[in-house]
Amino acid sequence: MSSPTKRIAINFGGGYVPGLNALITGTVMAASEIGWEVVGIRDGFDGLLFPDRYPDGGLLRLDRAMVEHLTGASGSVLGTAARSDPFHVRTVDQDGMLQEEDRSDALLESIRSHGIDALISVVGPAPLSILWKLSRKGLKTVAVPKSVENDMAATALSFGFDSALAFATETIGRVSEAAQSVHAIGIIEVPGERTGWLALQSGTAVCADAILIPEIHYDLHKVAAKLREKAKAGRAHALVVVAEGAAPLATQAAPTGLTVDPLRASLSPGSSGDAGAHVIERSGHVAERVALELQRLTNHETYPLVLGHLVRGGPPTAADRQLGLAYGAAAVRALHDSQSGVMVSFQPPDLKFIPLAETINKVRTVPANSVFVQVARALGISLGD
Amino acid sequence: MTKIDPIAPTGTVLNIQHFCTHDGPGIRTTVFLKGCSLRCKWCSNPESIHPKPELAYNPGKCIGKAQCGLCLKPPFPEGAMFVVDGTDDKIHVNWDLAAESDAETIGLCPTGALHMFGRMMTVDEVLDEVAQDGSFYRESGGGMTLSGGECLLIPDFSAALLAGAHQRGINTAIETAGNVPWRFFEKVLPHADVVLHDRKVSDPERHKKWCGVDNVRINANFEKAYATFPDTKFIARTPLIPGVNDDEEHIRAVLASIRPYPNVIDYELLPYHRYGESKYEFLGKVYELHDFQSPSPESLSRLRAIIDEAFGRGSPSAQNPA
Repeated sequence: MSSPTKRIAINFGGGYVPGLNALITGTVMAASEIGWEVVGIRDGFDGLLFPDRYPDGGLLRLDRAMVEHLTGASGSVLGTAARSDPFHVRTVDQDGMLQEEDRSDALLESIRSHGIDALISVVGPAPLSILWKLSRKGLKTVAVPKSVENDMAATALSFGFDSALAFATETIGRVSEAAQSVHAIGIIEVPGERTGWLALQSGTAVCADAILIPEIHYDLHKVAAKLREKAKAGRAHALVVVAEGAAPLATQAAPTGLTVDPLRASLSPGSSGDAGAHVIERSGHVAERVALELQRLTNHETYPLVLGHLVRGGPPTAADRQLGLAYGAAAVRALHDSQSGVMVSFQPPDLKFIPLAETINKVRTVPANSVFVQVARALGISLGD
Repeated sequence: MTKIDPIAPTGTVLNIQHFCTHDGPGIRTTVFLKGCSLRCKWCSNPESIHPKPELAYNPGKCIGKAQCGLCLKPPFPEGAMFVVDGTDDKIHVNWDLAAESDAETIGLCPTGALHMFGRMMTVDEVLDEVAQDGSFYRESGGGMTLSGGECLLIPDFSAALLAGAHQRGINTAIETAGNVPWRFFEKVLPHADVVLHDRKVSDPERHKKWCGVDNVRINANFEKAYATFPDTKFIARTPLIPGVNDDEEHIRAVLASIRPYPNVIDYELLPYHRYGESKYEFLGKVYELHDFQSPSPESLSRLRAIIDEAFGRGSPSAQNPA
């Protein structure tokens, strides 16, 4: 049965990934084929929550002529919001004080008042829960997965991962050449707080000496032994790729009980709490730690490098261009088929639709018997275990 | 002992910290209240921002799904907690779905990994705990300090606490950033012996950028307070954040504001430390200042020398940066 939907919106929530414009193109072209109109919401939901911030309006009318050449362009004409949460909107009250308030009802009313029948939301793992909450409040919506870490479990491939992988591989290759020329150990940290796909696949692609991922707790003594062995054989350089969430074996973990520093305690009332076994303090923390320890263990100079946000920029690869167009078109098809509260999922060779309730809280981790793990081991790459 | 109010007001108390030496004269007990009207990007007390008790999670205390798993079932909200396959069976928190969990439900966590930051307390409950340190106050010239959050946000509770402390012979101090209506100052400040107050950023636009609102009302409040309460001692403070406010212009602007008032007895610089980060993890919040560094000793020394000069003091720190 055909849906009565006539005007749909698209927005982006969560961190930036390369080539988001391809998703806009896919959505707009598929919608125009069935006579639907598409508008883009700027910066997540901010275009509707804070229209005053946008001199040209918080919504951007999107038509085929505007978007058909955007597929390979880097950037996003709509912008994205790392944290655009209508349930916790920061406002200034009449007494001039800051507070957070739930504006989800106002957002839904704004969507209705703009004649928007449904929303296609391109999101990472975190904003998926917000979308689910909006869906439960009646918003007709389809989610599209994006992640440079490929950590969304309900799909085999999140948009943006392939582009991030291509960039990381090229950059790590350059670092490898530099390490070779100066006879040093290059330590490269790549995004991957909970999963090691990016580290594992990019590290394998450049034949790194070691790859450390969150799924396999590492023992740097074993990594160092491997590097020393290679050095003895005359190879004076090495390359270690680390996911930002990689953690040492429990026996090597940082002390969990923080000592209570009186100054710290006086400044910070919760400071006497236990920090837990492993807290990712910031991007670059793991690279620094691994570099220092490996330098100590191998007596060889190490150079930490953090790719961080660099992998989130640049143009999309051919695979991501195709995936973006396919995801956008599939989301329109779902709405046309009267589906709502679902996420588009790539399950090769098919695109399927998974209920949002089944997509939240699921993390696509690297299984111990993954073919990528097997390949790395077969190549003699240390995984730190 | 005479009670100050037959119906003791209550407030959300985050923590009562004993034996503090940096929150006013002598050895002090600092009462941290919850709720803040600013959102400073370097905040080291994220657990003090929300005015009500709120959920926090310490993974170090979680014993995992296999041994426990209570929070994966009702009455915990659907999808609020989950386990990631593969790495270990520790609980993860979906903060978007868990935030509305009530204290009673959170209390079911047997190890305290899930817990609430903050609890409602009456004035007498707080004062009874504070009074336990009475001998230290007498020996050291210390007392009770109200901190936050922003203690002026709950003026009735704060005023009752301070007045009650005075009745028990305890010296009082408050720490405030001043972003409240003047009428809140009027209620609380008559009961404070010392007011430690933040002058974070001088330029209004920059203040709005880093703290969420501009500082026009804050500056007006403080200057009015200096004049209105001449017997109260004021100590200005700047949490020194490189790239935000570690410039001479800011320091000189604050000095120009405070020096006309003899009851502003000092101006302190507090070097920024990244103390609060792990607590952001506990609360599922994003720390916005990951890349900020502590100020260098040289910078600190140079700026302190300007303050010393303005207060007519020698400047030992300028001669000895270490």
